[in-house]
Parts: sequence; C-alpha cells; structure tokens
Amino acid sequence: MTFPEEVYSILEDIVGHEYISADPVICEGYRAGPAGYECGLGYERVMTRVPGCVIMPRTTEEVQKIVKVCNRYKIPYVPYSTGFYGARSHPHAENALLIDLKRMNDLEIDEKHLYAVVGPGVIYSQLQEEAMKRGMYIVIGGGGSQCSAIANMIGDGWSPLSYRIGLPHRRILGAELVLPDGELLRLGSLALQDDPFWGEGIGPDLRGLLRGYTGHRGFLGIVTKMAIKLLPFQPEKLEPTGVSPNTALQLPENRVKWINFTMPSFESIKKAMYEIAKAEIGAAVTRVPLFWRIIARASSKEEFWELWSKENEETVNAFFVLRVLLIGFTSEKQLEYEERVLMDIVKELGGEPRRTRPTDESWFKNADSAGMWLMCGGYVSVDYVIETIEHATAQCKNFAQLKRSYTPPLMPDYADPGWFQSFELGHQGYSEFLIYWDPDEDTTRVDHFYLETSKENIRKRFYTALLSSHQPLYLTGPAYGPNYHKWLLEIKKEFDPNFVCHPPFPLSHDFFVEQVEWMKPLKDWESPNLNVILPKEIAARIKTSSQNNEGEKTETS
Amino acid sequence: MHSISEELVKIVGPDNFSADDFVVEKYSRDFSLSPRGRPNFVVWPRSAEEIKRILELANKYKIPIVPVSSRVHFYGTAIPKQGGIVIDLTRMNRILEIDELNRRVRIEAGVTWKQLVEELRKRGLRVLMPLLPHSKRSVVTDFLEREVPTNTVYDYGEPLQSMEVVWPTGEIFRTGSASVPGYPDSPSRGANPAGPGIDFYRFLQGAQGTMGIVTWASLKIEYLPKIDKVFLAPVTDLSYIIEFLYRILRLRIGQECLLLNKLNLAIILSDSMDRDFEKLRTSLPPWTLILILSGFRRRPEEKIRYEEETLANIVKDEFREVQLSESLPGVLGAGKRLLKLLREPWPEETYWKHRYKGGCASVFFITKPVLAPKFISKTQEVAAEHGYLPEEIGMYIQPIEHNRACHLEFNFFYDPNDLNYVEKVRGLCRALYPILLNEGAFFTRPYGELAKVAYERAGSYTSVLRRLKKIFDPNNVMNPGNLCF
Amino acid sequence: MPKQTVSLDVAKLENFIYDMSRCIKCKGCTWVDHIYMPGIKFSTRCPSATRYLFDSYGAYGKMRIGLALAEGKIQYNDKLLHILYACTLCGACDVGCKRNLDLEIELTLEALRVKAVKDGKAPLTQHRRVAQNIMAQHNSLGASQEKRRNWLPQEIKLSQKAEVLYFAGCSASYHNPEIAQATVKILDAAGVPFTLLEDEWCCGNILYSIGMIDEARKIARRNIEEVRKNGAGILLTSCAECYRMWKVDYPKMLNIATADLGFKVLHLTEYVDELINKGLLKLTKPVSLRLTYHDACSLSRLSEPWIPWQGERGLWGVTNPPIPRRRGTNGVYENPRRILQSIPGVEFVEMIRKRENAFCCGAGRGVKEAFPDFAAWAAEERLKEFKEVGAEVLVVACPWCKNNFSEVIEAKGEKIKVFDISEIILEAIATEARGGK
Repeated sequence: MTFPEEVYSILEDIVGHEYISADPVICEGYRAGPAGYECGLGYERVMTRVPGCVIMPRTTEEVQKIVKVCNRYKIPYVPYSTGFYGARSHPHAENALLIDLKRMNDLEIDEKHLYAVVGPGVIYSQLQEEAMKRGMYIVIGGGGSQCSAIANMIGDGWSPLSYRIGLPHRRILGAELVLPDGELLRLGSLALQDDPFWGEGIGPDLRGLLRGYTGHRGFLGIVTKMAIKLLPFQPEKLEPTGVSPNTALQLPENRVKWINFTMPSFESIKKAMYEIAKAEIGAAVTRVPLFWRIIARASSKEEFWELWSKENEETVNAFFVLRVLLIGFTSEKQLEYEERVLMDIVKELGGEPRRTRPTDESWFKNADSAGMWLMCGGYVSVDYVIETIEHATAQCKNFAQLKRSYTPPLMPDYADPGWFQSFELGHQGYSEFLIYWDPDEDTTRVDHFYLETSKENIRKRFYTALLSSHQPLYLTGPAYGPNYHKWLLEIKKEFDPNFVCHPPFPLSHDFFVEQVEWMKPLKDWESPNLNVILPKEIAARIKTSSQNNEGEKTETS
Repeated sequence: MHSISEELVKIVGPDNFSADDFVVEKYSRDFSLSPRGRPNFVVWPRSAEEIKRILELANKYKIPIVPVSSRVHFYGTAIPKQGGIVIDLTRMNRILEIDELNRRVRIEAGVTWKQLVEELRKRGLRVLMPLLPHSKRSVVTDFLEREVPTNTVYDYGEPLQSMEVVWPTGEIFRTGSASVPGYPDSPSRGANPAGPGIDFYRFLQGAQGTMGIVTWASLKIEYLPKIDKVFLAPVTDLSYIIEFLYRILRLRIGQECLLLNKLNLAIILSDSMDRDFEKLRTSLPPWTLILILSGFRRRPEEKIRYEEETLANIVKDEFREVQLSESLPGVLGAGKRLLKLLREPWPEETYWKHRYKGGCASVFFITKPVLAPKFISKTQEVAAEHGYLPEEIGMYIQPIEHNRACHLEFNFFYDPNDLNYVEKVRGLCRALYPILLNEGAFFTRPYGELAKVAYERAGSYTSVLRRLKKIFDPNNVMNPGNLCF
Repeated sequence: MPKQTVSLDVAKLENFIYDMSRCIKCKGCTWVDHIYMPGIKFSTRCPSATRYLFDSYGAYGKMRIGLALAEGKIQYNDKLLHILYACTLCGACDVGCKRNLDLEIELTLEALRVKAVKDGKAPLTQHRRVAQNIMAQHNSLGASQEKRRNWLPQEIKLSQKAEVLYFAGCSASYHNPEIAQATVKILDAAGVPFTLLEDEWCCGNILYSIGMIDEARKIARRNIEEVRKNGAGILLTSCAECYRMWKVDYPKMLNIATADLGFKVLHLTEYVDELINKGLLKLTKPVSLRLTYHDACSLSRLSEPWIPWQGERGLWGVTNPPIPRRRGTNGVYENPRRILQSIPGVEFVEMIRKRENAFCCGAGRGVKEAFPDFAAWAAEERLKEFKEVGAEVLVVACPWCKNNFSEVIEAKGEKIKVFDISEIILEAIATEARGGK
C-alpha cells in the first residue's frame, strides 16, 4: 500500500517538495524500534508501523492545512517532535502521515516576566541554557535534555527539581493547539491577545485538554506553540567541564550544592523527607538507590555488570542514601541557612553527610538519561507516580515484590524498593519503577508484567501514570474516576470525529491485547468491539497482518 | 412542577427542601449589580448521592440547576437566570481530613473560611489565602474561581488538589489521584490534582458552577510561620515600586506581598468608618507596599535575617527611594494589624468592600505588572468620563509568582440605594470591559456582562468551550446563562 | 539467546547488528553534548542531520536503514545512497552516542559503505574518478606522480635516515604546498632531521572512506611496508585525514593494533607540543591576531589509537572480553590549544562548538567530491559561528578544512582569513631560528 499520490501532491504544495517524502528509505529511517522506550517488547513489534509519508511543516498554518487534508482524505496522522518517546509516539496505522515538527523551533524569552515561547522543535537542552544565561532555570523532565520541551510539558515533565518547582501542568502558559479536525484553539491569554504570558482560561480552563496526569501521546491534536514558565535561579554560572563521556556541570558551591547523606534506615529517609519539606528548604530531595551508585561508578556496560553482580538483596536493602540539592536563590546566606537546617534534621535522624562531588550531570541539564539503556539494551519506566511520600514508599515496596516473579526476563535488581523523592515541598511524593530487559531474549513475560502492574495498581488502589494511552483503556477506565474513559472517548469523538489523529489512541493497548495470542490469557475485563468504536477504514489499518509479529517488509519504491 | 417537588422531597427530605417565596427570594440576588432571578426550589443535600439523584431529575425534566456553596456572592454567578433548582451546599460543611503529615486538608464545598482557618490555626497550620476573603464564603469555591493568593513565593502555586465532582449528568466522579478505586480507603491520599486520563480539574476551575458540582476538594496547607516581620513602604511612584518588586520577588524574598491604594487601605485599616476613615484616607500615601518576611519551623530568625539583608542591600544599592519600615507613618500598629488581617478571613459582618458605601463593583484581570500604571490611568480616564471620581476608585495590585504577572483590581463603590449612581457604575463597568480588553487586559474570570464581551472576542476558545460543555452537560442544566452558555 | 561471536571488522555488517538495533533515538549523536549546549543557536554537531532534516539522515535514521538493509527488508535506491554518502563520517555521532550508550556508530557507518560497494551499488559516479586517480596515479587529484615532491623548498635538506618521516599527503603536496613547506621549516628550525618517503603514495583516505576497503587495504599494506623499510620511528603528518588513516584505519583494516604498526603516528600539533615542552622549539615572535581554532574531526574525535577486538556477546549485550571503547576522550584537543595560547600576542578565543562538539567543515570522507553543495553549506554554517565569536583568523589543522573554508569565504566575498596551524607556528618562530642549522 503506497501513500496516495493525489494527497501527496496536495501536501507537497503546502510545505514545498524539500520537506516531504514518501520514499521508503526515508520512511524506514522513522521506524520506532527496535530500541527506545518499550521497544523490543511485543507492543512495539506488533503495533508500530513505518509511516507512509513524512512531512515537516514550519508554521501553525501549515500544520492546520495538513491536518485538514488528512481529515478530508481520511489519512491517519501522527505528530512527532523528536521521536524519543518510543513506540507510542510512532504511527500505528498502516501508511500514516508522520508530521515531523522539528522545523518549528523558534524560541523567544521574556526575561522580565520569566517565560519562554517555543515551538515543538525546541528541546529542553536549548531552553535550559537560554534560561540559565538569564539567571533562570526550568525542570528538565526525566526523559532528558533531548526531549522536546512542549512534548514533555504535555506528556510527563518532572524531575527531582520538581521538589521546588512542582508539576508541569502549572508551568504551561498560553499555547496554540491544532485540534484533530484542524481548527486552531488558542489557550490562555492567547485566546484574547497575542502575548501568551498567562495560561488560565477565560472561565473554565481548556488547558485541561492538553494532558491528564500524563499525556495523550498525540491523539488529541498538535501543540504548535507554547509559553513555558521559567523559574528564578541564582546568578553564578554552572560551568560545563570534562570531555565526553565524562562531562558535567561544575557547581558554584556557594550557591548550588548537592549533598549526599548516609541514613540509618529506610524509615529515616522518609522522615528526613518530611522534615526537610516542613522546614521548607531545599531544591531537590531524593533517595539514591544502590543501583545508581553502581551506574555512576561503572565506565562501561561490562564494568556495570561486574560491579552489580557483586551486590545482593542484603546490600541493596542496606543502602540508605539521601541526596539533597540546595540552591541559594536569594543569596549565599540562604544556602548557608538551609544547610544548617538540613544538618539539624539529618543529625536528629542519625544520618551523616558523605563527601559529594560538586558537579551535576543528571538533573540541571539531564545529559545522561540515555544511559538508562546501557545496562541491558531494553528499558522502560513502567510507572512514575506523583502522590504522597507514603504512597510512593508503599508502591515502591509493592512493586519490588511483584517484580520478583518476573525476574528473569527482567534484570535482577535484588528487590530494590526503587527510587522515590519528594515533590512540591513535601506535599507530594514521587515513585518511579524502572525495568530492564534484554530485547534479544523472549520478552513475553515483560509484556505480561507491564499489564500486571496496571492490574496491581487497581487491586491495591494506587494512583498510576499509566492510564489512557498506556494501558488498556477498558481495564483502567472503569476503575479510575470511575469511568474516566467514557469522558475521554467522548472528548476524542467530539474533536476527532474521523479518528485520524494518531489512531487507535487512546485504545492502542486495548488493540494490542486483543490482537496477540500471548496477551489473551490476561484479558479478564470487558471491552466493546474496538473495530466499531473506530471508523471502519481506520480500524482496518491498525490490524496486524495475520500472525506476523515482527513487523512487515518495507514497500519497495 | 408538583411532581418535581415531590421527587425532590423524596431525595433530600422535607427539612432540606423549600419552595417558599420568602426563602426562594433570598437566592434571587447577591452583592452584585446583576439582575434578579428567582429559583423555583431550593434544596440542601447532605451527600453526593443526593446531588446525583437531583441532577438525574433535572436532566429528566430539563430543569436548570444552580449550585451554591455559601450565602455570600459578589459576582452574580449564583443567581438563577432561568429559574430551576438551587442546590445549596452549605450543609455539606465538614472538614473531612486534616492530613498534617502530607500538609493537606480535605473539605466539603460548604466549609467556610472562618471554619477552616480556625481549625487549621489550632494546629499551627494555614492555607494560602486571597486578600481578606469573606468569612462565610466557601473556600473550595474561592479556589475553584482562582482567587489569587497574597503569597507570591511558592513556585507550585494552586492549592487545589483532587476533588469529588458530580457531573451535570449525575455521575459521581473523583479527579486526580482521588480517582483510585475505593478512595479514601486507599494508599492514595488525593495529593495529585491531575488526571485521570485528562485534566478534569481544569474544566471545573473558573466554571462558575456550569460544569459540575464539586462536593469536596483536597487543598495544600502550610505551617504558620514562627516569626513574621512586616515591612511597609509608602509609594508615590508606582512604576518605581513595581520595578522594585521585579527585583526582589525574583529573589524569593517574602511571603505575602501586595500593593493597596490609599482608599482601599483606608477602608481596610479603619477601626470605625465614622471615626478614622477620613483621616486615614487623607494621611495615607497614594499606595502602600505590604511585604511580610517570615521564618518557619527551624531557625526562623536566620531565615528572616538573610532575606532582610538582601532586601536592605538592594534598597541601598539600587532603590534608594524605597522607604521600607516596620511602621506606617500616622497609623499606629499598622504592621501588626495587617499581619493579623492577612492571615484570617475578614473579621467583620460587613465585608470590607461594602464598608465605604454599601456596594462595590469590581473589575479585575491579569496583566504584566509593568503595564499596571497604563491600565490605571486608562481606568481613571474612563471613570472620569462617566462621572465617577478617580480618587473614589479602590485599587489593588497582587503580584503573582515572583512578579511574573499580577492581578490588578479596581473597586467602584456605590450606595445601592442611590439608583442613579448605581447606573453610573454599571455604565462605567460596561464601558471599561472592551477598552481594557483592547489594551491587553486578560480577563480570566468573566462575571456578568463581561462574559459576553470576552467570549465574543475569543472566537475559537468560546466555540471549543461550548463543544466541551455539551459533552458534560448535554441538556444544558448546569447554571445556564453564565459564561458563554 | 545463544552467545554470538562478534568482531569490529567493518567488512561484515553483521558485526554491527547489535549496534543498529539498540539505537534509542535520543539524538545524542546530533545534538551538542547537553552539558555544553550553547543554547538555541549552534546546538547540533551533525552536518547531515542539520542540513537534510529528515531523521533518516541522522545516525538514528541510518541505524534503522542499515538494519533493514542487513535484514534484506529494504532495497537500495538513490535516496539510500545519498543518506549513506552525504555524511562526512565526522564521528560526532559516534562520540555523542558513547557519552551514554557505547554503540559503535562510526564503525557501522563505515561497514554500510563497505557493504554498498560489495553489493555493487557504490562507489557513486562522483567517487569513481577519485578512486581511479588514487589507484592509478597514487594521488587523489589525478596529478603527476613525478611532481609530488615539487613543494619541497630548496634550502631544506633531507636526511638519509632519521627518526622522523614526514608524510606530506596529496593535498599538501599538490594543492597546499604552504602547509608542507611550513611543516618542514618548523622541523628545520627545531633542528629535527627528517626523511620523506621515496615514492609517497596517497594514504588511501577516500578509498577507505567510500567503502572500497579491499583497495584501501592494499595501499595500507604497501604504505606500511614502505615506512618500515624507511626505518622511521615517527610518521609525522600535517593532515588530519592522513593522520587518521595511518593511525586508525590502517591498523583497523589489517586487524592489528596501532601500537603494532612499528612506528608512531603523530600530527604536527602533537609533535610541536612535544618539541616546545622539551625546549627544542621556542615560539617567541609575537603574532598579534585574534584567532580561533577549528577542531578537525580526524584529529580529535576519531584519533584514538585502534585496538582490534574479537569476542563474544551474550546476555544483556555484555561482551567478553569487553570491547575497548574509543570514545573520543583522548583526541588531540589540547596540543594545538597549548601551542596557540603560548604564542605571544595571540588572543585566543574558542569556537562555540569545540573539541568533541565541533561542527565538521563538511569536506571529508568523500563528501566534497560527491556533494560539493553540502560541503559548502557545512563550511558556511561553521563560519557563522566564527563570526559569532568575533575572531579575525580561523586556524585549522587539515588542508581539507582549509580548502573548504577558503572556497566558501572566497565565493561569499567574506573578509575571513584561514591559516593552517603550521603556518601560524612558523610565523611565531623567530626569523633567526628559521633558515636551517
């Protein structure tokens, strides 16, 4: 099936011939797998497709025109900022149009009013540096510096720096959203004027359409412009040092300082987090699992395994390290004050400071997130939840237990209760569960585990990031809300009547479970006929070609 | 209609139902200049279940529902525009949880400021407050309506977390992390406002009761500071002080920080309007900056010390004209009084905005602080054209989050019995809306007549909002006649 | 999955299936190292991805295309060949990836070109002539072999036997004699005796770069033998491309270690740095210029010595023995900087993208020959950066860089001066010190 010629020529007229291609080699370059988030797992192998055509618009108007053409000719399309998100940010429908937004990379900063206006092609790395040049900073989401700022702001968007700065939802100011049918929605102050300095709605806030706790992965339109809050930082420069691969920011320790503490117990780490939060000090507070220590020490995959295989459940569970970031926003004296308070707290709880390097490579510029794939080749965060610190620690421990019976094929982590941290000055806690596997091994049980975590969250009444596009909608829907899925689908239907915007999201995991043999034993919930919810011609493009679960051959030109 | 009352009585019980003219009439007006509108019935449900059944009834008969969370309304939102049933939530006023560990409180919609602040204070806790809220207003509603807090320093803003809502169709739903099965019997405490699936909480904010009925909400709370130091500065050059605020607020100095013009401050500070108001009004500077430095649970003096040091250095080196001191010339104990006032709801029976003349129409919006002087002179100009003396305008500038933006408010006072004057004020407000909009005022809370002007201007926003509303409220029963519905 | 036997032999694409199938699209291969990210401008270091924009032109695209090729799931077409060859193999992707992931991107790209030749789809028409020149006339320009030594100044005397053998290379010999001349004058001023190869042949850079590995290997064998016969302990060059060929790709093709060549391979900047340290060369004449330095890819990112490897890869992708990684850490970054900063009167400013983050000039590895527009574009991009840092002179360490920049400067009528570092060094040697001992 080749991309329809008549549609191609219309699209070509919109962007110019240089910025569109249906060449099978160009399209192959956009394949999701075989590596990246979730890649190598069943979902990626079965659900993703190489696009039928790739287009690169430059302006919001072009995006609108493209989307309208897709609606008219029933062409499924997928917005794509960097492609880093893995399987779920790639086409799932046959012969879809991939809208590569990298050319929309304008950046403007209003320094006085602490915000930047960006297009989807701007990545955090660029934005953070521009902010820091002007005495400001942002939170770079855990995904890393390489993430599109907009995509991450509407998808995930937190890191240990969220302890002080909070949820990304609040940091979205005025924005432009091209709705799935091609209409343009201007959000925040853009609704009434051209300065996107403020994000609230006129009355009800339609920023609610942009995301949920986590994002839509592109099924409810394309954000073509967004103003993002920048936060006041401090005036000293964080100097880049070192040569690849050991590059890091040198911290001006009178103003920016990480301190690691050895604590006597897991409980004392929790207590410390609460106390630090109540004292309203700090800029980041996180537990450090032993795993990270080993990663930091190892200079290669082989060295990692050499070191890691020496550890066991005992050593892992006896490793109690708390890492705290202090920033002297107001002055050097602030940092000194906060350090005194911090030492008071740690001392009370029986902890000790450890020698800590005055550098940062992981959070201010998050330059090492890609390293998560180094150890095993396969990695995904199978949940990342913001709730309370109590919820985080309970969920971590529960998850560690669940993982046991899936190890192998999961990487052995000796029942590590994971990493958790404090957010919004202790009003929230954060837990993230990372899993690793070798994509060359049989990963069926990883697929099972992934779904099991959803069921476990429901059973144990935990909140979860993996709702909507991430897990079967008809499994999580009835449980949360309840019935959030009903509203989500109504909204989807209203704004995307042709179901052309990244189909079959948000039902992609439902489709996956229905279509593959090895997932069927886990299906114990009701779902309607998915092929009826989607228009027939779109549903037909999602079906896997019989039992071919390795992806199909690329069309020759 | 007869069967409707029967059905309502069946749902809430006879003691929680009324169709009496005397009762119903009270709901037909509020403190605003909005025209009257009577409901047909008033009910006082005690649970979400009851609300659900009422809404199902309303949908069946296509009768409007007007949710009301307190008996104090300033903007006309709770006045029925098309008759119907008022759902009065004041009897759903339990403080459900005070979760000190996670610094969170969960309260029903009917909980008032007085109730909450007193209860929290007992435990040394507080919730970030807007300026002098009415003691009998619903806390949840004030935050849903995005009243701006006086405290500018928290980066994570927005005290609202998760909520329980009854959708216009009658479905009971919980937002955010309270959406977990079995909440609150769950490890999830409802601390995350976002999701599930989509950010429902955003649709409920600023909705003036048109998108659903929130029955309870979790809010972030903080500890009361151990020590406070109030700084006051007389202001004659507003632009200058605004530049000063750009400089210091970015350094995360201070907790509460606000600017009040002489008229508003005089009203607020007067012990008795008869005795000291006129004197205060004359002696106060054109504007006063109020800045509170606070020390928390640990080493509180040290926190104040370092903030004060930086503040002093900036004044000395860069803003010599700023005269920050702990007192205000001519006003005894102003600092102490303001500190108390700013940490509690308005203590008197008569709301501060009504002390002067009895009535007050407010026009407010969000803008960039540097633009405030421009808006002020424009407003004064238009006021004068409408025969409203510029010196009779109360003004309030509330910096938001490090002064990245501000809430700018104009108060126009009137005697509700002086009908000519009332018309003058009404006309003035009407004239101001399009003018201010043209100048770039961003109206996030379109009450009354402003709604029409704002929504007409905001083409795509309005049409999408209407499409969204249809999903949640297909029969348009929720408070019709407000916003753009 | 059973263990696999793997080696770093680029003649077999299967050796790199692992690498092609572990790319996570983080685009660390394209972006400047995030720690060093300069902001919204000058934020990338892959010329191909920056110019052609489609993902398919970045390493992430090439890995996927390469994998499809290896698995027989895709056919060659003009686009595929363009993607493979509109790339200077500058190594930015390799170093970028190895900051976090240790995938052998550069070797994979080389292997893909070898495969293209083996499959009869390459060399491209534009490369055939150069290949012919090298094979027939032993130089890439197709010039007369007899005239190869014409650059040598009369006053400079060769030794019969010496520790240092200067390898001038085709560019310096025929096109940029000023570089070769400056080099030998420097040696002379330092009192360093040196020889030249009797019959100097092209190092074979283009042949290897475009995937004609068999032909390149023949030349490598011959050239190494000539040096061994010469008996020199140091092969000295002023051309970054020649440097990389001798130091890295010759051993790679012969499956030996750089250390086993039998002689050291040094770039002029390494050697001069050493001479200065030992007090044998003094740069005392002031050179009053505000200058900046462009890191040549082959001298920096790609210059670490070659270590052959063969072993097994098993669970988690662990290799046994562990693959010795060349991550660009120990490239020749500091030597040229030390030299330039030691010259009195020099005001040294760094380019915004420097060291392992440098943006390739665009000329190398067959690009100039096949895609001159692309080469010119890359140079222009780099010159924008030059203007941004406000320097007067651009110093380079490779004739390819020098020529590519110079052509663009001339075409655009820019007032920018480009010098090879050999010329600057020579300028800083006091006149008395020059002119032979």
